[in-house]
Amino acid sequence: MLRLRFHGRGGQGAKVASRVLGTAAFLDGYNVQDFPLYGAEKRGAPITAFTRISRENIMERGVISDPDIVIVIDETLLSDPKAMPLSGLKKGGVVFVNTPQSPLETQERYSITDHVITLDLTKIGLDMIGKPVLSSLAAAVASRIAGIGEDALRDALEKELSGIISDRGILEKNAEAALYCYDAVVPVQMKTTEAIREGENVINIPFETARVSSPAINATGNTPLRRTGNWRVFRPIWDYDLCTRCMTCVARCPEGCIQVNEDGYPYADYENCKGCLICARECPVKAINDVREMHSQSEEGEL
Amino acid sequence: MQGRDKDMDTAPIRSIREIPPEENVLSGTPACAGCGGLLTLRHCLKALGEKIVIVNAASCFTLLSIYPFTPFKNSWLYTAMACAPAGAQGVRDALDILIKKGKLDPEENLKVVVLTGDGSAYDMGLSSTSGALYRNLDFYYICYDNEAYGNTGFQQSGATPFGSRTATSPPGGVRPAGTQLQKKDLFEIWNSHNPPYLATISPAYPVDLMNKFRKAEQYKGPKLFISHSSCPPGWGFDPSQSVSLAKLSVETGIWPLKESVHGKVEHTFVPKKFKPVEDYLKEQERFAHLFKPVRQEDILKSIQGMVDEYWRKYKLLP
Repeated sequence: MLRLRFHGRGGQGAKVASRVLGTAAFLDGYNVQDFPLYGAEKRGAPITAFTRISRENIMERGVISDPDIVIVIDETLLSDPKAMPLSGLKKGGVVFVNTPQSPLETQERYSITDHVITLDLTKIGLDMIGKPVLSSLAAAVASRIAGIGEDALRDALEKELSGIISDRGILEKNAEAALYCYDAVVPVQMKTTEAIREGENVINIPFETARVSSPAINATGNTPLRRTGNWRVFRPIWDYDLCTRCMTCVARCPEGCIQVNEDGYPYADYENCKGCLICARECPVKAINDVREMHSQSEEGEL
Repeated sequence: MQGRDKDMDTAPIRSIREIPPEENVLSGTPACAGCGGLLTLRHCLKALGEKIVIVNAASCFTLLSIYPFTPFKNSWLYTAMACAPAGAQGVRDALDILIKKGKLDPEENLKVVVLTGDGSAYDMGLSSTSGALYRNLDFYYICYDNEAYGNTGFQQSGATPFGSRTATSPPGGVRPAGTQLQKKDLFEIWNSHNPPYLATISPAYPVDLMNKFRKAEQYKGPKLFISHSSCPPGWGFDPSQSVSLAKLSVETGIWPLKESVHGKVEHTFVPKKFKPVEDYLKEQERFAHLFKPVRQEDILKSIQGMVDEYWRKYKLLP
């Protein structure tokens, strides 16, 4: 059995990727499970999804704590203590990382000793689909690594995406970009692992009274410590030569992340700006530009 | 018992430059990028100040505070979906009793603010809200209405508009419109209880929003606000469009900005020339089936017709 774990951010498509891979493997004749882990998180927050693929009946249930293959759709998660994408990866397993960097650079940067495959899915998504939505691309990469056939992938994309994308043109662009990614990944020899492990992943939670088990938060206003800045795909940058200090961007920011300096010019708190870019769209003089975020090459990426 | 808050300025403001700079809901929350409801909440809490208690019915916004983090400077209480106004009654009573017994300085009094999504306001919490209005409970109610159960994957609610797609009302052969039922008129339902102050607000009109809170401040009893709240993942649009869509919903006449003082309704903003509803609908994936693969002319006409009828009723459209 092959166990795959997808790590992405809400909205990038980790859940759909695991579903497309599952369907592709099923169409290729395997037994399959796929499911996301739902938490109290939203678009932009770390998301995990899982796929099990096996010739035999699959008797396991629950989250995959010891994957053979890890698909990291958002590079910043590699340094996120809440996500820890590499935890439990089997010896000899494969890590895929969506990054503009080479496998070697990625191995060094994040001290990974396992086999690493990289591809800049975000760039491919932006170039070929026009959006940084990466579900079909990540599914294609995972299918290639897991050894699933191209025809099965093509059918799975059609089956799964036609239900959520109504625009035929966008659907075809997705399939085209996915197959491009499929061909761009060099297949590796994967060793399948044992089928069932008994009773290892079960955590017993004792019964506690409500006073003990329901948490009380005694701090105030501490969410900025969470640093949601690594959700960004694009970074808003102000051109003070054009800016008229009209305060529109300050009033429009849902996060309250934009403040003004002593001269009255606005600036963003990049540690928490989620990159929604309402400010750039609403600026009446177009003084705010969006620049593709390269977390791996910026200071903020290491926060 | 609630005294006038000296911290709260009641003079109306004229421009966004006069919006108070203090942030009372901080960044770093798990809310989606571009959340229209969060933008509404940010401005509401600028108007209300720090001396409040929020009673939050289960919704997207109960996830703003996740142990051990909170974006709020004020106290906050989590209730089940149906009972935030009942929770608010308990908190109000407790504060009143403490003040009466001399255990709480009246200067330390807090405003009680119910915060819910549309699922709670339009559906599950309607009866406890009706009870609180009936008892003339002195509280604020902020409903951020994104027109579906957004937190659980965008299922249809009583606030979901006719012709839109939700997870439980997908368009198809038998139901080409998607959602077949009409959105409830919560403003009128609440207004029939004759609360002292009731208003609709929008994240795209923060000056209007701020002035409504300043006006509401003078009334004792229920002060209710319904905000149309653009929702990028649920409605299907790019997060950067959140404000422009909230603006379009007002400019097309779909979301009227109005207030009611003791039951008397006045519109606070009437577009000089109404934009066609299509301008608003075509930007959202939840209405995409009305345009593609074939244009559903009858449904589009019927949505425009409902909006025109509303404004004709108030004699604001010829």
